[in-house]
Amino acid sequence: MAGLEFGRSAPLTLGVELELQLVSVRTCDLTRAASDLLAQAARRKHPGEIKPEITESMIEVSTGIHSRYAPLRTELREIRDALLEVAERLDIGVAGGGAHPFQHWSDRRVMDAPRMRKISELYGYLAKQFTVFGQHVHIGCPNGDEALYLLHALSRYIPHLIALSASSPYYQGVDTAFESSRLNAVSAFPLSGRAPFVQTWDEFNAYFDKLRGAGVVSSMKDFYWDIRPKPEFGTVEIRVFDTPLTVERAAALAAYVQALARWLLVERPHAIAEDAYLAYTYNRFQACRFGLEGEFIDPAAGTRRSIGEEVQMTLGALAVHARELDSEAALRDIEGIVRGGNDARWMREQYAVSGSLPDLVWRQAERLRTGQ
Amino acid sequence: MSDLFFLPDLRAAARALPWHALLLLGAALAGEAVQRWLRLPRMLGWIAVGALLGPHALGALGGADLDAMGPLLQVALGVVLFELGQRVNPAWLRRNPGLLGTSILESALAFGAMYAVLVAVDAPPIVAAVAAAIGISTSPAVMLTVARELRAQGQVTERALLLSALNSAYAFIAVSVLLSWIAREHALDWRSAVLQPLYLVFGALATAAVFAGATLALLRLLGRRHDAQFLCVLALVAIAVWAADVLRLSTGLTLLAYGVAIRLFDRRRLFVALSFGRVGTILLILLFALTAARLQWTLLATGVLAGAALVAARIAGKALGVIALAPAAALPIRKASLLALALTPMSGVAITLLLDTSRLYPHFGPALAAVVVSAIAMMELLGPLLAHFALLRAGETAPEEG
Repeated sequence: MAGLEFGRSAPLTLGVELELQLVSVRTCDLTRAASDLLAQAARRKHPGEIKPEITESMIEVSTGIHSRYAPLRTELREIRDALLEVAERLDIGVAGGGAHPFQHWSDRRVMDAPRMRKISELYGYLAKQFTVFGQHVHIGCPNGDEALYLLHALSRYIPHLIALSASSPYYQGVDTAFESSRLNAVSAFPLSGRAPFVQTWDEFNAYFDKLRGAGVVSSMKDFYWDIRPKPEFGTVEIRVFDTPLTVERAAALAAYVQALARWLLVERPHAIAEDAYLAYTYNRFQACRFGLEGEFIDPAAGTRRSIGEEVQMTLGALAVHARELDSEAALRDIEGIVRGGNDARWMREQYAVSGSLPDLVWRQAERLRTGQ
Repeated sequence: MSDLFFLPDLRAAARALPWHALLLLGAALAGEAVQRWLRLPRMLGWIAVGALLGPHALGALGGADLDAMGPLLQVALGVVLFELGQRVNPAWLRRNPGLLGTSILESALAFGAMYAVLVAVDAPPIVAAVAAAIGISTSPAVMLTVARELRAQGQVTERALLLSALNSAYAFIAVSVLLSWIAREHALDWRSAVLQPLYLVFGALATAAVFAGATLALLRLLGRRHDAQFLCVLALVAIAVWAADVLRLSTGLTLLAYGVAIRLFDRRRLFVALSFGRVGTILLILLFALTAARLQWTLLATGVLAGAALVAARIAGKALGVIALAPAAALPIRKASLLALALTPMSGVAITLLLDTSRLYPHFGPALAAVVVSAIAMMELLGPLLAHFALLRAGETAPEEG
């Protein structure tokens, strides 16, 4: 058997998936509404796709393939508007954010579909506890070897992406002290974390065959890595983002990844090596816990800086690539996050004013709708 | 006998037996039995025990006992309507006007159909109108209890609750107006015909606003003390029931508006989790059991045919209204059919209102009473079953824990 074929895709093209929360307009708790919402959305023409997720309180939207930031952002806005129009008629609230601030996981109901039921049986309470909401960004790669190079090169920037998108400070009714508590829920799954250090597609196939032969995995879907190759699409998929509170921020984050990828592939600024992963889990933890104030250690360069400073420096290196990709506006938005704080900070500020987690969810829904 | 003075007097003891406690005990056991072995709503057990102990069956609870419980039932009903008011979102009607249309159409068609049946069995028009107006309402108590027991969430559930609140509001207004006409022997004077409904609506809204404002101020004062909050709201609901009565407003409409106002005024959503918990459940058990006890089940047989026609007319009217406007209200036809079924429970309030009507209006003869009572009796059992079935089939329920 030839193993996994890495599909073709135009280099540096983008696609975005967003998992969104469906909440009761009254209690602001998660509510079972996905089936009703999908049934109505199916009757309406809209760009992109609106799909079910594992529980009835979750929905996933995804864009088509884009090579530029502006059309990606426009499409995300159109999907959002279509979704909200349907949701309003059904009296369902839709919100961004990496986790629902106060839902109780045992109240969740798994979608009535064979694959979802299978996952639920296998993972038990984890499947319901995994009611967390992420953004996935796909970057097109010409071939499997390039994809693996990009995967390893991007891993150094994972803490940036976690800190910039973090929007799950509250979980199960408490302030977790983390900026992104969502990734802690992901860590409970086997085969989460980082991909093995293999550099060519043939090596990757050999690795995959060994695991499959041993019966550890049956498909690429069983890997819950932070970044994973997606051979069917011919992309590298980044999965560490919390769903931001607005689709505009989701588009800006995707553009940041695109500019990073172009820089890494064109200039090859770092040598990729297993040693580059020495501080991976440390930096990742810092990003989840402290966000942009977290510490970033670069063992190769021997530097320690805050993640915010690292992002600022990186933005300098990306400027020329953003110009080529027409995404300078997006990078200005990213700089705005470094200066003005991420969504987790905004959420804590809102809660400090109102003292009400339901009210926070309400404001999250408003923020998704208005984009600010 | 006098030698055995130390033995207890069993007859006196039986008279002094706390039947209310036995009613609660029996209702609790029957409710669990119905839920566990038949997998049906608990309230069917509560209703059965109430009917069994009531004056028309075993007679353990006499008419005087029931009258004594009257004020408590009023509060229980107040709590139900307050909770329902809190659950519905008036803004939804603005965003989905098809829903308001559905509510008006299903109420009008159900009213028309029931009116036609009643007139056909020789009811005087004004009496037929009262009975048909009572029938507009979908029981808020049954809807809330079924939805809560099944932990249902979804379009059928939310719409059933909203439509129940709306059609109950229409029924409260219509019945109040019609009853006061009857009381004044049809002295149809156009000013009171216009002004009374206005007084009922705006009086209820104003009273509700005052109470909601006061409640939220108190709740803020109490802070996050759930017990204290709960007691405070329960007491205020009881006072609101009294206030509506004193002001000659519709108690039902006022309490419904009170619930809506609480939600609207609570801008920071500090009290969304407000609930009546276990005490609320006890009030519900009493409400269902004692309402069933009042019902003259013996009339069921007498009026069964015409009663069945009345029930069928009501269901057909509601179903037609809901299904006709389903596309306009963004609901698939399958779910609309289930929604129509969910709307069938008839209000237990109907019985209280009926008693008032017969007291006020002696022409409400025994034949007509038999028709209406047997319709209510059928719906008392059929309604919860159909609503239960509708929410289950809609796939909007969550299995109970434990």
